[in-house]
Amino acid sequence: MNRKKDKGFESPRPYKLTHQVVCINNINFQRKSVIGYVELTIFPTVVNLNRIKLNSKQCRIYRVRVNDLEAPFIYNDPTLEVCHHEAKQRNLNYFSSAYTAAVSAVDPDTGNGELSIKVPSELWKQGDEMKVLKVYIEFSLDQPKGGLHFVVPDVEGSLAERGAHVFSFGYQNSTRFWFPCVDSFSELCTWKLEFTVDAAMVAVSCGDLVETIYTHDMRKKTFHYMLPIPTAAPNISLAVGPFEILVDPYMHEVTHFCLPQLLPLLKHTMSYLHEVFEFYEEILTCRYPYSCFKTVFVDEAYVQVASYASMSIFSTNLLHSGLIIDQTPATRRYLAQALAQQFFGCFISRMSWSDEWVLKGISGYIYGLYLKKTFGVNEYRHWIKQELDKIVEYELKTGGVLLHPTFTGGKEKDNPTPHLHFSIRNPHTLSWEYYKMFQCKAHLVMRLIENRISMEFMLQVFNKLLSLASTASSQKYQSHMWSQMLLSTSGFLKSISNVSGKDIGPLIKQWVDQSGVVKFFGSFAFNRKRNVLELEIRQDCTSSGTQKYVGPIKVTVQELDGSFNHTLQIEENSLKHDIPCHSKSRRNKKKKIPLMNGEEVDMDLSAMDADSPLLWIRIDPDMSILRKVEFEQADFMWQYQLRYERDVVAQEEAISALEVFPTAASRLALTDILEQDQCFYRVRMQACFCLAKIANAMVSTWTGPPAMKSLFTRMFCCKSCPNIVKTNNFINFQSYFLQKTMPVAMALLRDIHNLCPKEVLNFILDLIKYNDNRKNKFSDNYYRAELIDALTNSLTPAISVNNEVRTVESLSADVRLVLEEVTRFLNMEKLLPSYRNTITVSCLRAIRMLQKNGHLPSDPSLFKSYAEYGHFVDVRIAALEAVVDYTRVDRSSDELQWLLDMVHTDPVHYVRHKILSMLSKNPPFTKAAESCLCNEALVDQLWKLMNSGTSHDWRLRCDAVNLYHTLFGLSRPSCLPLPELGLVLNLKEKKAVLNPTIKPEQDASVPEPPPELVFVSCKEEPFQMKEELVLSGVALAPQGLKRKADTPLASPPEPGQVLQEETVFKGPVKSRFPTQEEEDIDMDTVHDSQAFIYHHLNMLERPSTPGREPPVVEQQAVMPTPAPPAPPFVKESSAPSRHVGVHQHHHRHHHEHKKKKKKHKHKHKHKHKHESKGKERDKDRDPHVFGSSPARSPSLSD
Amino acid sequence: MADPAVMGSASLNAGTRTGGTKATTSPAENYYLARRRTLQVVVSSLLTECGFESSEKAAVETLTEMMQSYITEVGRCAKANCEHTARSTPTLSDVVITLVEMGFNVDTLPVYAKRSQRMVITAPPVTNAPVTPKALVAGQKRTHPAYIPSHFPEFPDPHTYIKTPTFREPVSDYQVVREKAASQRRDVERALTRFMAKTGETQSLFKDDLTAFPLIAARPSSIPYLSALLPSELELQMLEETDSSEQDEQTDTENNSNIIHDDAGADKENTVLPPGGVVPTVKTNDDNMIDNPYLRPVKKPKVRRKK
Repeated sequence: MNRKKDKGFESPRPYKLTHQVVCINNINFQRKSVIGYVELTIFPTVVNLNRIKLNSKQCRIYRVRVNDLEAPFIYNDPTLEVCHHEAKQRNLNYFSSAYTAAVSAVDPDTGNGELSIKVPSELWKQGDEMKVLKVYIEFSLDQPKGGLHFVVPDVEGSLAERGAHVFSFGYQNSTRFWFPCVDSFSELCTWKLEFTVDAAMVAVSCGDLVETIYTHDMRKKTFHYMLPIPTAAPNISLAVGPFEILVDPYMHEVTHFCLPQLLPLLKHTMSYLHEVFEFYEEILTCRYPYSCFKTVFVDEAYVQVASYASMSIFSTNLLHSGLIIDQTPATRRYLAQALAQQFFGCFISRMSWSDEWVLKGISGYIYGLYLKKTFGVNEYRHWIKQELDKIVEYELKTGGVLLHPTFTGGKEKDNPTPHLHFSIRNPHTLSWEYYKMFQCKAHLVMRLIENRISMEFMLQVFNKLLSLASTASSQKYQSHMWSQMLLSTSGFLKSISNVSGKDIGPLIKQWVDQSGVVKFFGSFAFNRKRNVLELEIRQDCTSSGTQKYVGPIKVTVQELDGSFNHTLQIEENSLKHDIPCHSKSRRNKKKKIPLMNGEEVDMDLSAMDADSPLLWIRIDPDMSILRKVEFEQADFMWQYQLRYERDVVAQEEAISALEVFPTAASRLALTDILEQDQCFYRVRMQACFCLAKIANAMVSTWTGPPAMKSLFTRMFCCKSCPNIVKTNNFINFQSYFLQKTMPVAMALLRDIHNLCPKEVLNFILDLIKYNDNRKNKFSDNYYRAELIDALTNSLTPAISVNNEVRTVESLSADVRLVLEEVTRFLNMEKLLPSYRNTITVSCLRAIRMLQKNGHLPSDPSLFKSYAEYGHFVDVRIAALEAVVDYTRVDRSSDELQWLLDMVHTDPVHYVRHKILSMLSKNPPFTKAAESCLCNEALVDQLWKLMNSGTSHDWRLRCDAVNLYHTLFGLSRPSCLPLPELGLVLNLKEKKAVLNPTIKPEQDASVPEPPPELVFVSCKEEPFQMKEELVLSGVALAPQGLKRKADTPLASPPEPGQVLQEETVFKGPVKSRFPTQEEEDIDMDTVHDSQAFIYHHLNMLERPSTPGREPPVVEQQAVMPTPAPPAPPFVKESSAPSRHVGVHQHHHRHHHEHKKKKKKHKHKHKHKHKHESKGKERDKDRDPHVFGSSPARSPSLSD
Repeated sequence: MADPAVMGSASLNAGTRTGGTKATTSPAENYYLARRRTLQVVVSSLLTECGFESSEKAAVETLTEMMQSYITEVGRCAKANCEHTARSTPTLSDVVITLVEMGFNVDTLPVYAKRSQRMVITAPPVTNAPVTPKALVAGQKRTHPAYIPSHFPEFPDPHTYIKTPTFREPVSDYQVVREKAASQRRDVERALTRFMAKTGETQSLFKDDLTAFPLIAARPSSIPYLSALLPSELELQMLEETDSSEQDEQTDTENNSNIIHDDAGADKENTVLPPGGVVPTVKTNDDNMIDNPYLRPVKKPKVRRKK
């Protein structure tokens, strides 16, 4: 195993951070700017600490001082623009590797950072004595695009009256967006946080509020926070606004904050939180680690819930009043999630990215325990099944989710997940969907561990981890102890084996170190002579996303005499398993049948096969394998399983299996379940939809009223007049959910003409008409919304006469009725808005469906108006979804453009994210199909979006990558003209082939073409890398090149780039590089793209934050400190070689190591210098190139 | 030419004209004006008799007023006299007594009436006597029972003293009630939304017919979450109606959190309260202080701090 055996944490940094002060002394809501400083107290751990790397993005840094001495610094953020220059390269493989390289280049977990501070030489001595260093950084943020989000409503009144607020957000470690720090989950320190805000506002942050002091003019106040528990920077957050304050009535150290006017909702929503606290503290036998807890509800939240040390930031849309049913469980779940993450995620942090799964797993697991306790076992099992289905579906679709990737030696070739179009090496390169699935799998695996070692041990392990951490946290200034607060995979596994004494190695190997799920196919035969059940279990372990399972599997067989569990051993070659049956198939004796839970029931056994005693069989009933089971058993067995098996998972499985058995018996079984009010409501809801499907399949033989109609009438309509629904009374939630669902399912019924039966439509219209909520204790907004959904479901395509324009006259009578209801609801919503505007959302969907089915003219303008900023976010998303759909159906480039513009300009991050993910889910075209939308401009635009347009938001960038992948695939988009290097000459085989980059993707994982190829340039352009590239041009080609291949790179460059280079230069093969001058010069490997060089070349040009002394900084960036020797690379000076650029990129890094390499090519130094300067000039001439860099944007310095 | 009579009639004409225009408004007024005019004519002719050639309008008015007062007083007293003797219609003797009581020498009256230069005044223009508006008659008036003399006033309309069914029998049929409630609500809603759509900006679903199915235009609001999250007035009202006891409880807790303060020691214990344990109302009585840093007063700046 590759896992580190010693659990000791080794910091990648040559120093240890012990304390950090963050002081933000001005927050300007009008200009959306922030000014402040940070002070980091660090202990060097090496003798000569001369350089400190910190993380900082988009901050403008004014000055840096180390122990009161001005320190020069360099600011370089390669993620601002991933691939530099307008390279013609447009393939995603290339982008992904470049992006991974860029992210790794500033990854704090490898000791890197955007901000490199040179420790003044006066302090070097001090470093010898390992004295403490204080790094003081003044910074400002102007209109931050990430990290902090300002919400400033445009209404009358003071800022506080308008409800203006600001809060921090981010995906994973994103604190660097709003103050310079070591943005790693593994670098813990204590914190002092100070925020000066308007007197009418409150600043909520991590830790204890020590005091609040007015400024001298009494117009502002300063909030002083202390966080004595060592905490990682990504767990620090801030929220400032005119919040209303609610002290929790049950726990006075817990404080809730919400925006003005929402206090009554906050009170109701939070009346419940103490129970969650009690639950976690009880099961973990551990007190909540922080001395206080704060919840803040903000508008335009990035995610529904974000957890930080001792505080959580929620979306304000989770608040609800006592009238609302549906939102209540959802909000409680979020609260429970947030609190679980306080223990595991905030208090206990992770050692490295590959240990993330442990934290997500544990917090998800204890959250699951909470669900089980609060919502019941049925709900819990249902949830587990849902999560399992989700992960199985995702893994089978995409090829696997790997929880604990191990990167040996950091080689790109060892990519553990070649099936993905992104790298899982870093959280910031992950697609959001993958990350969600990752969390899902993590908690499922924790549950598997629980199955293995028992819950008691599991909780003991957690308790142990927590108590170790809390002991460590109380150690002041003994920072080496703090690493106990970091959790690693190995540490976790060690705890498990210590506590339980069990070896869970195989389990971990199967599910954690390996990706994929198991796919079982099961079938059986009953051997009457031997009275044996012959079970055959096969596995599909070849298709993507699957893995082979070897080990025990539980099979439950329900026989006439009872239910029996059998544990079978799945081995390499054994497919068949013989299971002896306990009962004889005698049925003359009428007797009750014992079930698994001890219950004894009467069954009507007439449907059974007379010879077999088997009622039903279940494979892996406890879901103790991450698997998908396709099991074949007769329809009557499924029906028995549905009726009599008491496990909700079994019932749900039976329902989905019955979909393919449209018989009267299935109908009866489903109807019986529907009527049984002891049955879990979700099962009954699922049965509704299954019944609708079956009814449609049986349409020709169906007798009686439409499915579910009489049932609904009996349950919810008046006794005296069965066509009128009772006035609403939702006090019984189970029947409420059923009442909501049944009409929706009924509307899916179709008659022989494939139309929704008139009877059903009228029935739904009557439900709407007679809906009366006056006597109800609860709001009926969700119910009404579902009735509209039912109307939507009832729609069928219009009979269109040769594509005429849809007019009012052409509306059919039924559709007219539907449309009338929809418009009335939509209009009423303007006057009496419903909670979360659920009704508007449903109406918009209905209208889109009417358009899609040809009843209304297809027109996106209505949706576009609802998608505007200023509508409730749910409404916007629904409207955008309609626009996305329109874009696909009508192939409208205008709308696509409009959507992409919105991705650029919309103020709400969540909306931007949703647009891209909806576009990926419902793409206007895919790589497989030709489309008029697929053109070069679009490719350029999307490329730009992911390349530089989304540098402020990791999640959004990954969304853009996803979309690009969906639209164009991994290779070069087909709509692009062939790159200039059309033909490639294979010197070995002496023939010209098409440039592999142009070919449609054959092997996604290998972006580079074989190294033996030589480009035959059709035009000269690709080589127009001009003289400026030839910076360190050196010596002559052949030897030089050879040498280069061996020479270790001068400096320890960013790991990502090393990867690149290694692949590039790996092959020692020589090839030719035809140029004007030297047609026959041997060259080293040739990389497939010139853009790659541009990329590296332009690392140089990355904008740096101008320091206080611009000349110094400038100098640093270009030509850092004492005489930098030219990089030790050999290069033909005039050959338009790609390698030049490649190395050029390291140019800056080399100076750091200048001393080590002395005697190299001094003669080229001047040239080098000259060129760099020239480049610098170019840069100045072309300022728009850097437009996207916040570091350069005009700032508040004046 | 300055014939007072002419003058009088002139003013009278004028009066008629104005009166005429007004007459259209109400017959009672019309009648009053006619009487007044007649009196004016009388006064004018008396003045002429006495030798006046002209008089100021105000004087005539005053005299008319006096005359009218006098006649009214005579009538009133005569009626009083007659009622005094338990009759309902005044007789001559009543009038005579009245005149006597007012100090008028009744004996001079025949002589004055037969004087030679007496002017004869034409009858006042016919005006319709004021029609007392017909009282609304509702139902059959009851006739007097036998023991009540017939001269006693008639019974008033029955609706004034007995319970009259002014509404129809309430429809008790459940179906109809629901039907009605539903259609009523729907009509109201439709009318309201149509009205709103007519008066405001709209969006339409059809390009050819902009008025079919008008939609009230979507208008972004600056704080969209407020309307989306807060329950509407209507819903709040409903909540109050359906469950007022719960509402009380809520206000109770509200007071607790705002007013009641617990001290630091107490709140440490709160976290380990048994599940579903003490309701805050119990603690309310302790009258302690909640030690929450966000509730503490903001401190004044002390010394100038160096940044």
